[in-house]
Amino acid sequence: MPEILVTVYDVFMRTYPGFLEATVVTLQLTAIGVILGTVIGLIIALMKISGSKILQAIANVYITIIRGTPLIVQIMFLYFGIVEIYTMSNFWAGAIALGVHNGAYIAEIFRGSIQGIDPGQREASMSLGMNRKQTMSRIVFPQALRRSIPPLGNQFIITLKDSSLVYIIGVAEIFSLGNREAAQSYQPFESFMVVALYYLVLVMIFTFLLRLYENKLDVDKA
Amino acid sequence: MKKKLSFLSVIFSAGMLLAACGGDDSTSSEEGSSTDGEGSELKLLEDGKFTTASSGLYKPFNYEEGGNLTGFDIDIGNAISKEMGLEPNPVTTPFETIIQGLTTNRFDAVIGSMAITEERAKQVAFSDPYYYSGGVIFVREGNTEITSEADLEGATIGVVGQSTYDTAAQQYTDDENIQYYSSDVVALQDLTIEGRLDAVITADVVGFEAQNAGLEIEMIGEPLWIEQAAVAVRPEDKELLKAVNEALAAIIEDGTYDEISQKWFGRNLLDVDLEGIEILK
Repeated sequence: MPEILVTVYDVFMRTYPGFLEATVVTLQLTAIGVILGTVIGLIIALMKISGSKILQAIANVYITIIRGTPLIVQIMFLYFGIVEIYTMSNFWAGAIALGVHNGAYIAEIFRGSIQGIDPGQREASMSLGMNRKQTMSRIVFPQALRRSIPPLGNQFIITLKDSSLVYIIGVAEIFSLGNREAAQSYQPFESFMVVALYYLVLVMIFTFLLRLYENKLDVDKA
Repeated sequence: MKKKLSFLSVIFSAGMLLAACGGDDSTSSEEGSSTDGEGSELKLLEDGKFTTASSGLYKPFNYEEGGNLTGFDIDIGNAISKEMGLEPNPVTTPFETIIQGLTTNRFDAVIGSMAITEERAKQVAFSDPYYYSGGVIFVREGNTEITSEADLEGATIGVVGQSTYDTAAQQYTDDENIQYYSSDVVALQDLTIEGRLDAVITADVVGFEAQNAGLEIEMIGEPLWIEQAAVAVRPEDKELLKAVNEALAAIIEDGTYDEISQKWFGRNLLDVDLEGIEILK
């Protein structure tokens, strides 16, 4: 076996108990980031398609600020900025930053899916006597939801990988553990190779589960 | 729509629960100790626990071995906590933001090889020094171009951001030639790769440790200065500072300090002849 594989294997064997713990933290960060992001995204998307100019303006400001600044800055901002009001743990600061960040992107996914439904369908259901609310909840949203699954899945994978950025505020997730291993073993290449493998396997599992879900929903035909 | 939202809220609260179970801390120690007396009147992040921060990237002072935080700083922190009747709770946070972390109440103190400087003393209160170390220039083995600090002008120097070595590097070379790392150890590793760095400034013992691990680096000349690593607390925590100083004096007095220092370095780090050497301010 090539020597590099042997040393990567060594680092892996030495570090996996710590990495398994860190994987749990990474998954928790991702779960909160995704769920909070979906809730925020839904609210922002509804604000954007609502008739109210004020709600639209608020949503636009939110999306502009979040999409216009790097995630790492948002993490720092939450960790050190919000402390004036409330001191939250580094884990929660990181998780909430991920959620807030995701919210802006997921809002655009939802908005795109909703607005992508042919206006003709809306007209048709209106002409069948449904009001606006019924049209949306019975005709538009169910279709839009199916359409939003593939881009949402993509966003979830990005979140999983983005969660590595919270190492900057000292959360013991996969990347920060790799960083520490590199500083301990004088083997940065091997350490980050192991880190990469962890993310790769997690993303592959994620992708597989998403595919199952998509098949179940028949997203292809949406 | 309503159904979907309530479904989401269930997942959301499940996520919260999940996180509450185990995501909160960065690192915690297993070592417990009896909690009695003294500690209780101190204003601490967690009752009965002394939460102290280091980068966890500074071998052999604070680093992770098999998932556990270890090193000289950690042992000292444990001994001080025990002396104060508190449970030690070492956590890690990047060195670049460690002072902000302290001043925003993320932990009770920094026991992470932080050297006393006038600049830092404006933001934090320092205890008595718990070790002395020398700031040293390291180069790649066999480098003949850099033989003293005078040769550093225009050289690419690797340092940890916000460290005392950072300040030194700024004196020797131009700002754009300084490369920032989160760990001295990674900087030293990078030094061995040709074409990356010309020099790394860090503590002598950190470089020696790297040499022992097989890194082909060498120290240039004598230590540039001696710096005093101390425990840092928030300036308003006067009681805590007093307790830390008393505990430190006690472990030096009863030989615990010497034991820890011998264990890590084979010598007593406080046993340094300070005469005639510049002490970093």
